[in-house]
Amino acid sequence: MSKGKLTVVISQAPGKNPAKRALEENLAASLLMEPGIELSIIPHLYDLGPDHTGRLFLESIPGDMVVLAWLFPRAGFWLLDRDGIRGTEGQSPLHPIAEKDDEDSDEPPPEKAPGIGPLGEVPDRTIWCLDLRDHAGHQIYLEEIRRIRAEAALLREGRQAAKQATRPPAVITLGLPTQKKPTPEFTPETLLAPSNRRWYPVIDYSRCTNCMECLDFCLFGVYGVDGLDRILVENQDSCKKGCPACSRVCPEQAIIFPDYKSAAIAGAPVGNIGGLKIDLSKLFGGEDQMVVAAQERDRELVKDGRDAVGLAVGIPKRQSDKPKGPRDELDSLVDALDNLDI
Amino acid sequence: MAEDLWFTMGKIPARLPAGILYAKNHMWARPEIGPDGNRLLRHGFTHYAILLMKDVYFLEWNISEGDPVTLSQEIGHIETSKAESGLYCPAPGTLVRFNASLLDDPSAINTDGYGSGWLFDLDAPDTGYMNAEQYLKYLSDNWEKTQAMLKGKMNQIEDDES
Repeated sequence: MSKGKLTVVISQAPGKNPAKRALEENLAASLLMEPGIELSIIPHLYDLGPDHTGRLFLESIPGDMVVLAWLFPRAGFWLLDRDGIRGTEGQSPLHPIAEKDDEDSDEPPPEKAPGIGPLGEVPDRTIWCLDLRDHAGHQIYLEEIRRIRAEAALLREGRQAAKQATRPPAVITLGLPTQKKPTPEFTPETLLAPSNRRWYPVIDYSRCTNCMECLDFCLFGVYGVDGLDRILVENQDSCKKGCPACSRVCPEQAIIFPDYKSAAIAGAPVGNIGGLKIDLSKLFGGEDQMVVAAQERDRELVKDGRDAVGLAVGIPKRQSDKPKGPRDELDSLVDALDNLDI
Repeated sequence: MAEDLWFTMGKIPARLPAGILYAKNHMWARPEIGPDGNRLLRHGFTHYAILLMKDVYFLEWNISEGDPVTLSQEIGHIETSKAESGLYCPAPGTLVRFNASLLDDPSAINTDGYGSGWLFDLDAPDTGYMNAEQYLKYLSDNWEKTQAMLKGKMNQIEDDES
């Protein structure tokens, strides 16, 4: 990467949806003309296996980056995290959710127990994840990337100033650059090598409290713990395609299946930060998420020739009359009803 | 014809027509003759459900017509101006057809929820449903709890502050 340039990565949609391809191509074409931007295109982020050149490329990027994918930003950010690609999460006004903040910006965020945070060291750089599903035209993304380019330049200056102020010059010789593995060739072709569809959970460590309910619940050996007894997705490929059951069991909505059809499981923003929408699933017959999760798990157990276990194994015992907290902001619905003009 | 019943939510009355069936997931059901002349149960949202959701923006089904369904199976998703929710099957049977006109424009759910805003036809026995009186009682019995649930987040915030 050339010095001072901002890395922008477009992660393509799986499949061949012409509208999605067109957005990707139009955006790529305009970014190629843009100064200060280093553009690369990779397949769908979620599908990249550990050996895919696209993933090696992402791992090789040392500085700030913008990743545009057909995923919720939260899903994209934590996907990168599980690949060891870490940084501070960049905020973008592009996300429609952020725009709605003006309605009740004074409200404190409803989030309680913060998660355990990323498992590894977080390097001093920023990663912006943008959701290509938010807007149909490429222009708005282009403008946002220009805004980020300016923000990144400021951040870089700040970092350099801090470095010069605090560090004696002798520390530069850490020897890291020479230990680097030979960098593989990153050509557009190898970056875009086809990848198979994959299916596995992604943990949002900003929400995960390490309660281990997913570890108790999943009977397929997907979850494990690291040396410090912190939960992690140990065997991604043991996960059962299409089954999001552990995500339903998670009391903190920390488990994301980025390609799942319902937004709450696919990593939509949670709570106040997110859409100001009420989740009525409990009222509309979906109240028993544990039962749904157990059914989904049984289906997979039976497919594997094992016995269904129903609710007998690994179902957390929670107070039944204490809902785990409606997912989204549930503030003044009843008041709003009173003001309804009928 | 029996008179409609009304359930008052705060100050807003929700209309519950007599003579049709009601499910606990706030859907109504009414017998309908299917394409093969068989008897189906047509389902839609009750006025109560619609008042909670307000304007429907987007409706999506994630199963196909003709698929077997189980009780409480997640069959779709709805997004409205105020809410979003999974949609769940109120009875076991076969999902015969969806109201195709809603997929282009779901607004009939709001304008004519008991009529042209119907959601789907289900081939299922009409057991396990409530009548209007029973549904009214069900709503009244649960209203306090529902309000608590709807306001739950608010209380949580207050708790956190104190």
